[in-house]
Amino acid sequence: MSFFGFDATLPRDRGHSSQAPGFGQAQDAFAGLSGRGAADDDDAIDFEETYDGLGDQLDETDDTFNDDTFGNDKAVGKDFDFAGQTSRVADAIEGEGLLWQAKQPPPNIHATRHTTQPAKPAKSGYEPYAQPTYIPDLEANASIWGINPKRQAQNQQAHQRQETNAAAAPAAPARKMMSLEEVEAMMLAQNKKPTPQSMPQAQPPPPAAAPQPQAQYPSHYGQMPSQQGGFSGPPQILQRPQQPPPSRPPPKAHAELPGHAIPPPGQQQPTILQRNRQSVPDQPARHTPVQQAQRPPSQPRQILQNPNRLSGHGQPITQPGQQKQGEFQRGPQLGPSHARGPSFPGVVTHPEQLLHLTEEERAAYLIEDAKRAKRNHKIHLLSKDNGLMTPQDKNFITRIQLQQLMAATGGLEEHGPEAALTEDFYYQVYCQIRGAPRQNPHQPASQFAQTYLFQTGGRYGMGRRHHRGGDNHMQRMEQQVQRAVEAAKAKPKNKQLVIEGSLGKISFSNSKTPKPLLNIKRPDHGDGAQGSGRRPSGVNAHGSTIIDRKTTLRNIENVYDCLMKLEDHERRMPPPLAENSDPQTIQAHMEWQTGTQRLHETLWQDLKIMEPINPNSLTPHPFIAILSHAKGKKAIPRIFRQIDEQQRIIMLTMIVVHLDMLSVVAKAVPSPDEPNLSPAIREEVELFSHAVMPPLFAHIAESPLNIVIGLLGLILDRTNLHLVTRTKIGMSLLTMLISRAELVKQSTPEMNPGDWEQWMQLYNRLFDAVEPVLPSIFPGSVNDTEDVYVWQFLAAMGVGASPEQQQRLVLGVKDRVMDTVAVSKALPAELASVRLGHVNLFMRAIGLDVELLG
Amino acid sequence: MLFFSFFKTLIDHEVTVELKNEISIRGTLKSVDQFLNIKLDNIQVVEEIRWPHLSSTKNLFIRGSVVRYIHLPSSAVDTALLEDASRREATAAKDKKAA
Repeated sequence: MSFFGFDATLPRDRGHSSQAPGFGQAQDAFAGLSGRGAADDDDAIDFEETYDGLGDQLDETDDTFNDDTFGNDKAVGKDFDFAGQTSRVADAIEGEGLLWQAKQPPPNIHATRHTTQPAKPAKSGYEPYAQPTYIPDLEANASIWGINPKRQAQNQQAHQRQETNAAAAPAAPARKMMSLEEVEAMMLAQNKKPTPQSMPQAQPPPPAAAPQPQAQYPSHYGQMPSQQGGFSGPPQILQRPQQPPPSRPPPKAHAELPGHAIPPPGQQQPTILQRNRQSVPDQPARHTPVQQAQRPPSQPRQILQNPNRLSGHGQPITQPGQQKQGEFQRGPQLGPSHARGPSFPGVVTHPEQLLHLTEEERAAYLIEDAKRAKRNHKIHLLSKDNGLMTPQDKNFITRIQLQQLMAATGGLEEHGPEAALTEDFYYQVYCQIRGAPRQNPHQPASQFAQTYLFQTGGRYGMGRRHHRGGDNHMQRMEQQVQRAVEAAKAKPKNKQLVIEGSLGKISFSNSKTPKPLLNIKRPDHGDGAQGSGRRPSGVNAHGSTIIDRKTTLRNIENVYDCLMKLEDHERRMPPPLAENSDPQTIQAHMEWQTGTQRLHETLWQDLKIMEPINPNSLTPHPFIAILSHAKGKKAIPRIFRQIDEQQRIIMLTMIVVHLDMLSVVAKAVPSPDEPNLSPAIREEVELFSHAVMPPLFAHIAESPLNIVIGLLGLILDRTNLHLVTRTKIGMSLLTMLISRAELVKQSTPEMNPGDWEQWMQLYNRLFDAVEPVLPSIFPGSVNDTEDVYVWQFLAAMGVGASPEQQQRLVLGVKDRVMDTVAVSKALPAELASVRLGHVNLFMRAIGLDVELLG
Repeated sequence: MLFFSFFKTLIDHEVTVELKNEISIRGTLKSVDQFLNIKLDNIQVVEEIRWPHLSSTKNLFIRGSVVRYIHLPSSAVDTALLEDASRREATAAKDKKAA
């Protein structure tokens, strides 16, 4: 030991104990984190355990002659040149070292190793790479994720401490390990010309120098980590397998050494040597300390971000990294002298740097270093499972998820909001009618998918700016989604899978169409029957005189279908035309109007209103039959909105002509033995007066007198007036007509006298027809409160009546008036006033008042 | 989807759910999905004496397949609209079959 001049830094008692690992000790970036207290209990390389105690058995008695043997009192001097001379001894030791590697860990080597290499390096995991034939195991080794390096960290810890203590020592086993040659060169240079600037240049030509045995062996271990700039942490190990050239054991290069023990590496020696020499001159220039100082931090992060990238040529993208990349590519061509030089320049220069730094700077540097290491460790911890999934993997998963998403929603969005309305019609319209929904209205799946895609894209944009394949993946994902949508579109068409030979079926379901529990197949002839129902004209009337209930119901459904189409069509109305509308808009408008026209025609035909009237038929007219159903009645207001003026008059006429055949009239006539109507009829009447009458009244209220005359004439001519007057609907209609005529007369004094004449004739006819039945027009008994329509009718009649007719009216209803007044006296005040108010409608019309009767 | 669409409009209305195991539960409809699974809040079992173990339950989730009837609040049902919605559904089904 001492003859290398190292003893100044390493006290003999400690030697290269576990706390001062060999040169080859891998640097551990996480040394600063491992806890200083733990540094000493490094059991793996405890010198006491490895030491065989031979030294204790030495006979020290003749030590006095040591001076004779080694020279007396003379300073050892530092002007030796081991690299040049002593290296001849190296081959033997090399042989031993390689042998040891081959048989690792054979126990019998122990002694040899002990002498050549006082401190056994912690197992770094790189031993196999020393063998040229070794093919790296590409599987991730658990140790590379930091399980092993813990040891080294502790080691390193101690090492660092020692280094700090003995910082002044020129050849301290620095964290940046110096090669033997460099150390020697440095020492020589210090002896000869103490100017520090010359030191890098003073490196002796390496090829000639044989490596010192001591340093040689460990350098196998140290090589790799130091390549990374001295701060290599476990993550960088990933890089290792792809870079065999630097891992070649340096001894191979020394072709000139005789008796080289291991032949296989020697085969490549000549070329290496040549390259080696060529590359020598540009070495010093490259080792600028600044570069190296910048390098280490960037390196590990790159690795963590993308381990796979690093393995190949892809080196750090940051600027110092690029520089380094160049070095790496050149690395293999550099000879053994610089096997530790060019590719890991930090090794060479940092100790020098450290040498010339002040104590403070060094401390600062070390602190900085520890910080960096800490950070690296943190990253390392966080990135434990980084890279488990490649971006491709992630995209794959995302695609699967999206696909399932689209399949689950059944690709609702491809039909647009129209389909959403069809699917969710009730909810949508209900919410519109009853005010804003509390929840968000149904959000189409497409929006969701788009949002999702957008988010993913954003994440990629931020996180993987350098990721060239990113766009490509996004494109592929979008394509995939598109395909998924198409697949989902196609899917509902085969909702069942029938495996050949099997008895059952497998039905698929998704969220949109849950699996149907019942699958009823409609017989084919059903469709035919339905088709015949749609046939518009005459067939039923002529072919069969019986229009059954079913046909009527079908007609109603057709009307509704058409109505809904019309209403849908209305929603699709193109933007209103302006003078400068482009042809496309005009075209759309024209098409839309054509469609409207066509639908209106269909509606009119479906109504069957133009079917010929057959007065002798036992069955009602198809249109009247429609009105006999509740849903037919409900359709009238909607139909009225769609049809034009002419059609409204026709409809009104049809109703008036068939007034006594309407179910609400024909069946609503109270009979003597059943004065009260059945609830069903009552309900029907109620519905009719709510659904059908308002549009009719609205229309009559705007009709000219001749229309009113015509309608009244039809009632008088074509209907059984006795029936009509005994029902609420008939009475209401008559009231409407009479009051309208009266209004027209009052509002337009200069009316055509002929028309009025005609009206008066009709009125008189009506009066004459009604007068005999006046006592019976009241429904039920006196106690029946729902007689307001009768009083309204009487009022309308009274207004237009002559005094003589009024007299007759009063006579006709006198009993009812008196009874009602009498009954209302027994009633509570509120009810009484209502009843009397009804009576008063009539009384006031003829200039009287119930008060007069009191 | 008609029923799903329909029941969505009944959310926050009080309904009575009659299950196939004859339990009737009255509660506020909180949520319904396309399988007609139901979430009820503030529930009350109609015949509490028969199922006392349910008396402490305040809200529950009912799988759609175990429901026999749901009694609706008639005021919250727009029958005309429901008829139209049914027609639309039928038309859509017919179109799909034809296509």
